[in-house]
Amino acid sequence: MVELIMIHIQTGLKDITGYIYPNEFELHWGLLIVVYPYLTGLVAGAFILASLERLFKIKVLQPVYRLSLLSALAFLFVAPLPLLAHLGHPERSFEMFLTPYTKSAMAMFGFVYAWYLMVVLLLEIWFDYRKDIVIWSQEKKGIMRFVYKILTLGATDLSEKSILLDNKIGKVITIIGIPSAFLLHGYVGFIFGSVKANPWWSSVLMPIVFLFSAIVSGIALVLLIYMVSTMFRWKTMNMSCLNQLGELLLYAIIVDFSLELLDFIQRLYESEESIHILSQMISSRLFLSLIISQFILGSVIPMISLVWARFGRVPDEMRRMVYFIAAILVQVGIFSTRWNVVIGGQLFSKSLRGLTVYKIQLFGLEGLFMAGFLLILPFIILYILCKLFPPWVDSEVKLH
Amino acid sequence: MKAPRIPKKILGLAFIFSIVIAALVVARMLFIPPSFGKYGHYRADAVNEIVAQEINYAGYQACMECHDEIYKPKERSYHKSVSCEACHGPAAKHVEAPDEFVPGAPRERGYCPLCHDYNPSRPTGFPQIITELHNPGKACMTCHNPHNPVLPHTPEECSACHREIANVKRISYHASLPCVRCHTVPEKHMVQPKFVFAQVPVEREFCGECHAEGAPGGPDIPRIDLDTHGERYLCWDCHYPHYPEAR
Ligand code: HEC
Ligand code: HEC
Ligand code: HEC
Ligand code: HEC
Ligand code: HEC
Ligand code: HEC
Ligand code: HEC
Ligand code: HEC
Repeated sequence: MVELIMIHIQTGLKDITGYIYPNEFELHWGLLIVVYPYLTGLVAGAFILASLERLFKIKVLQPVYRLSLLSALAFLFVAPLPLLAHLGHPERSFEMFLTPYTKSAMAMFGFVYAWYLMVVLLLEIWFDYRKDIVIWSQEKKGIMRFVYKILTLGATDLSEKSILLDNKIGKVITIIGIPSAFLLHGYVGFIFGSVKANPWWSSVLMPIVFLFSAIVSGIALVLLIYMVSTMFRWKTMNMSCLNQLGELLLYAIIVDFSLELLDFIQRLYESEESIHILSQMISSRLFLSLIISQFILGSVIPMISLVWARFGRVPDEMRRMVYFIAAILVQVGIFSTRWNVVIGGQLFSKSLRGLTVYKIQLFGLEGLFMAGFLLILPFIILYILCKLFPPWVDSEVKLH
Repeated sequence: MKAPRIPKKILGLAFIFSIVIAALVVARMLFIPPSFGKYGHYRADAVNEIVAQEINYAGYQACMECHDEIYKPKERSYHKSVSCEACHGPAAKHVEAPDEFVPGAPRERGYCPLCHDYNPSRPTGFPQIITELHNPGKACMTCHNPHNPVLPHTPEECSACHREIANVKRISYHASLPCVRCHTVPEKHMVQPKFVFAQVPVEREFCGECHAEGAPGGPDIPRIDLDTHGERYLCWDCHYPHYPEAR
């Protein structure tokens, strides 16, 4: 056993540069902890997009309103799973609901999550779909009829007054929902930003940077889902909606990118003692994921191509292509952002004198396949949700 | 006037939420251990459970009673800070029934290097060896008594105990200087380093013996003006003389 450990350590030691403390050899937060903020970011982003449509009455976004709500829900269901898989004792996680501990931000996660799921997302979706559910519960046959019956919660009133009330409540929930979405993802940034001992994480800007990158990734996600789903339904895409999405995406990337640059410049200017090891890390271990993937592929190229496609004289066909590719690049970029934060924060030694390496496992609860599964699962859930509650404009029930 | 009717949907939702809250309350009653929160945010009974765990280690004082011929010299040896059970393993059972349960002794060569193998992160002066080079093939016990590890003979080299410094000095600008050119080392330091200390340079003038303008020595020694160079600071605040990067 000891020999096995020694062999393991010796092969690993080859990749270590400089001096690290013994307990820094192995990273404790691996791939799943990268997936977790990525998923919650998508949730918050998709929800904020839906709220924009509702609050500011951006009518062109109508075709994606329900779709983004359902996407947010599908991803929200999966968001805590990487955490659970990472825990040594996932079966004990419910205890944090029973004995709330307000002094630990991590222990409060359950409440932030439950609030967002129960009070915001489910309620908003329910109020928005209520009239459809009632109609479906009268039209559909067999078991589905029964399912919809239950989902009406007995409230079958479809009078004009009642629908008006639905809209009003929905709006109030949206207003509560925006700060809640900020809370949900700002919270994730907060967790990292408040680790005082880690110079890579400890930054007041962290929650804000997380938030804006969340919005970026959420908009790009909805854009992708909208394009792919319309394609598979053999419908034509609503070009003005796509243009609006592309424009929003562009603005969000600009804000996000400038915030990140600001953070970067401030670190360079402050030049704390950690700056040497951090710049060493950026130019070696994180070069691919930070400079290439996050900055160039994930921000600069999408920005330039979106400006060109949105404001240049470009045929629609080409535009769609560019939006699609930009949105995919943005996803890659945001995933790298999460990677750089989570993994980057553990690659350098607290002695500020050395760097370690992260080796991805393939199998096991925290391995590559698990992460892949968790990234695919939300789409399966979304597919089921779309079958249950078709979010398309043409399938919305018209009452009067 | 009619009392305002609460819409059915609100009632429906209120019903669901009250079920969730009720479930939480019931779960709290069922699952929170009774002693939770008595002392703090944890289960008070856990303390008793830990207290009730089987004791494996007896502590080194317990050994004195029967093994004082080992205990006494060990207390005054270099290994005074190393507990008996660090080497012999947990021996609480042995103390209760010395004949039934006899702890083993780590006689193999691989054991002592756990603490004594060369590792740059160990503190200055900690006795270290490079196991592969240090009398290979023989058990440590043939030359060292584990309970009183006095060295068979006085080490000749400073590197015996200051290996890390010796290693970096070897590739520094000062490689050609013997340690004793800069450090006055009483002979006893090689035997009892914790009681008899070596001297370190204390003044700037010391480095000036070779580096000042006009100091004796070959032209290959770089010279500086003692009065203006680095003024108020000790030279080794900026140039640690052991280090290759002593620039
Ligand atoms: C109550 C008296 C008593 C106490 C206390 C005691 N021992 Fe012993 N120990 C003995 C006796 C008697 C033997 C010889 C047993 C035999 O050889 O069958 C022995 C043998 C040993 C041996 C085996 C030596 C060999 O030949 O391999 C070791 C090692 C040892 N003791 C370590 C310890 C340590 C460590 C402690 C303290 C935690 C300790 N003992 C406390 C009585 C005691
Ligand atoms: C640095 C590790 C180490 C420590 C600390 C240590 N021992 Fe030992 N002990 C050994 C080794 C190795 C042997 C085997 C010696 C041999 O075979 O020559 C041994 C042998 C013994 C024996 C067998 C009798 C003998 O002399 O061969 C006894 C008894 C014993 N130790 C008791 C103790 C007690 C009591 C203490 C604490 C006061 C203690 N040891 C601390 C390593 C240690
Ligand atoms: C748990 C760690 C540990 C183990 C295991 C251990 N030692 Fe030690 N050893 C020490 C410590 C601590 C010192 C005292 C160092 C000091 O004074 O700074 C020491 C000192 C020594 C010295 C004195 C060197 C000098 O400067 O004169 C020798 C020799 C020695 N040990 C040999 C051994 C042998 C042989 C073994 C195996 C039986 C052994 N040690 C196992 C911790 C350990
Ligand atoms: C052939 C006899 C012999 C054997 C076997 C032996 N040593 Fe030594 N050891 C010495 C001598 C002699 C010294 C005195 C220092 C020197 O000259 O290097 C010494 C010094 C030491 C020191 C003091 C550190 C230093 O370099 O000053 C330690 C620690 C040590 N030995 C540990 C061990 C360990 C552990 C083993 C078993 C792996 C072992 N020795 C095996 C003879 C031996
Ligand atoms: C037997 C092991 C041993 C040998 C051999 C040895 N030292 Fe040391 N030396 C020590 C230890 C242990 C300390 C740390 C003493 C303390 O801080 O308690 C030390 C400390 C020192 C210090 C620092 C004193 C201070 O005030 O901080 C100097 C300088 C030094 N040694 C120089 C030398 C030189 C030069 C030689 C060779 C001629 C040498 N030593 C040989 C064990 C040794
Ligand atoms: C060019 C002069 C010079 C030479 C050669 C030199 N030293 Fe030093 N040494 C110093 C100075 C200067 C200090 C710093 C004292 C201070 O920091 O207060 C020092 C500090 C030390 C210390 C205590 C602080 C520490 O860094 O751990 C030890 C131990 C030591 N030297 C050992 C050695 C040994 C062993 C050698 C030979 C391998 C050696 N020195 C060679 C100048 C020298
Ligand atoms: C016995 C004479 C002597 C003493 C005393 C001495 N040095 Fe040196 N020093 C040298 C020699 C010889 C060189 C190497 C020149 C070469 O080969 O490049 C050197 C090189 C240096 C260099 C490298 C200069 C360069 O950039 O080329 C520095 C820095 C230095 N010494 C600092 C110190 C300090 C600080 C002290 C006082 C702790 C000190 N020296 C004491 C002889 C000495
Ligand atoms: C405030 C920091 C500082 C202090 C204190 C200091 N130095 Fe320097 N020293 C430097 C720097 C920086 C350089 C390199 C700059 C240069 O090449 O002029 C240097 C260069 C040198 C050189 C190489 C000169 C050459 O021509 O290559 C020597 C020798 C030297 N110092 C010796 C000393 C000695 C001896 C002392 C103590 C009297 C000392 N230094 C104190 C900062 C310092």
